[in-house]
Amino acid sequence: MNELDKIPVRQEISVAEGNVKRSNPLANVFDELVRFCQSRSMFMLHYCTGCGAIELPPAMTSRFDMERLGIQPMVTPRQADILLITGYVSVKTLKRIILTYEQMPSPKYVIGICSCTVNGGMYWQSYATAKVLKEYLPVDIYIAGCMPRPEAVISGLRDLMGDIKSGRADNWKRYFQNYDHYLGNQQQLFGEDWQTPTDIIAEAEHYGLMTDQTLGEHTALLQKHQQPLEALEFSLGEKREKIQGENPREKNNE
Amino acid sequence: MRPENYEAIKQPPSNEFELNFGPNHPGIEGNYAFRVKLNGDEVLSARADAGYLHRGFEKLMEGRLWIQNIALVPRICVPDPVPMEVCYSLAIEELCGLEIPERAMWLRVMQLEMSRLAAHLFAFGGHAATTGMYTPMFWGVADRDLILDRFEELTGGRVYSIYNIPGGVRRDMPDGFLDRLGTLLDYLDSRLPDYDSLFFRNQVFIKRARDVGAMTQEQALKWGVTGPNLRATGLAFDVRRDDPYLVYDKIDFDIVTEPGGDALSRNLVRRAELKQSIRILRQIIKHLPSVKGAVRCPIPNPLAWNVPAGETYTRVESSKGELAYYVVSNGGDKPYRVHVRGPSSMHAVQVLEKLAVGSRLEDVAQIMFSLDACPPEVDR
Ligand code: SF4
Repeated sequence: MNELDKIPVRQEISVAEGNVKRSNPLANVFDELVRFCQSRSMFMLHYCTGCGAIELPPAMTSRFDMERLGIQPMVTPRQADILLITGYVSVKTLKRIILTYEQMPSPKYVIGICSCTVNGGMYWQSYATAKVLKEYLPVDIYIAGCMPRPEAVISGLRDLMGDIKSGRADNWKRYFQNYDHYLGNQQQLFGEDWQTPTDIIAEAEHYGLMTDQTLGEHTALLQKHQQPLEALEFSLGEKREKIQGENPREKNNE
Repeated sequence: MRPENYEAIKQPPSNEFELNFGPNHPGIEGNYAFRVKLNGDEVLSARADAGYLHRGFEKLMEGRLWIQNIALVPRICVPDPVPMEVCYSLAIEELCGLEIPERAMWLRVMQLEMSRLAAHLFAFGGHAATTGMYTPMFWGVADRDLILDRFEELTGGRVYSIYNIPGGVRRDMPDGFLDRLGTLLDYLDSRLPDYDSLFFRNQVFIKRARDVGAMTQEQALKWGVTGPNLRATGLAFDVRRDDPYLVYDKIDFDIVTEPGGDALSRNLVRRAELKQSIRILRQIIKHLPSVKGAVRCPIPNPLAWNVPAGETYTRVESSKGELAYYVVSNGGDKPYRVHVRGPSSMHAVQVLEKLAVGSRLEDVAQIMFSLDACPPEVDR
């Protein structure tokens, strides 16, 4: 921990410039079309983290019916576009949320529902919850309220759709561009040996989103502590021999 | 760093494997995890992994004023928040020796039963979804929303009403509220046969749920099971009748039991309790206009309210089971200690772990939903 105390968390966050206009006019049209399609078919991973999750079933089912907007619940992070954080996040949950978020394919969007994700809400003095969600993950839209009504949830999702269509919802890039900042905050909370099995730095390189704030002292600490995941030891060969040895028919043959 | 619940698997036999069930899993009720060891699809052992929703409730309550805690308590159990408020208010009233007006008692019972209706509609809807039937879930959630509309009219809040305060309820009901509630009850009553033919008498459900997660009455008593889950093992125990609070002794209702103790019986008990709650609410609609008077007794300045020293244990019957508060006051303006005896912590941890063993993997979610455990209440 001592080593961690010496490193300040990077405060300034660079904001990505909006859409880069491409020189080929046809490419712009194509980009717009892609964004339009993205905004109309969103799969939402609802990680029901807190009490706000109780307003999602009404919003998803027949009364308010989110599906008419093209938003559907999805069960695995690998196929989801939106991560909904519905309420307070305890420290134990936050680890899973970060892992879930890092598993999702880009572009990905985070929605923080409930006041608890904005500033801690009811539990501002609790020892077990993480208070401000955007310190750990780049949040695209907050829907405040304790708890927000289904109408508010749907209106927030519509705002997100508008942002995606106009290309403003690019907060997922910030996670790569400012990885050191987010990792620093995560390390403050979980301890300096915090790591997930995903490789964000390699992904940032892959997307071409490396900036001077991607790497820093916190990522250096991460690399120091990172150990390759050990492979599970399987000894199928031995087992097979044993079974063969016990096989009565083989014995007879001998 | 490894997650704190990580344990390396030591050379498992090749036919056994471990599966993490949750916390982010559609078959899990909220943020709750379960680790099962499987042989094929048969569960060999199961271990609950709670704590994802822990926010240190009992500690938080010690740091806030008595009246501030009223806003905190409904958050303990999200689908069924009203019993939390009522039980906490009852505890304070007992410590202070407050006599609440009769009209407030009737209003509280009315909300308690509305909340029970809403919670049961939600519960069996969730169970239906785990057996692959989504229509009952959609219907249940939509009908629950109509009850939430009445809650909104009465209290101003859809889910968390914060309507009950120590000393009574915050305000009287709006004009014509009982008529609209009566219309809603007629509608819900007319829906019950639909639910029967769609779900409760559906062979798909009956075949899936019969003898799944069964427990005997002795086991249930030993494990601390209460509420509909206990009544599904054939024991007619209900705090509303056996230790009456508020005005339940003036109301006529039946305690429904089922002999089976399995997932099917538990759901049939809930189905019958829907009917009983409607019956109770109808009696309230008939009786409430004749009870006149205030809805709140005078209380001291709530911001400087020193509750007399003492300790008390109050219990109510929530839709999940017996809910109780053990409150200790040392005469200060904040509680000295509050302990919540939630029904779900027994159901979701110790009972579920035992019932899951020997069942099949696809039934684990079903057993969990049939116990109607509420994860935020387990972790608190
Ligand atoms: S903002 Fe309110 S409803 Fe939402 S998670 Fe926090 S306490 Fe629960």
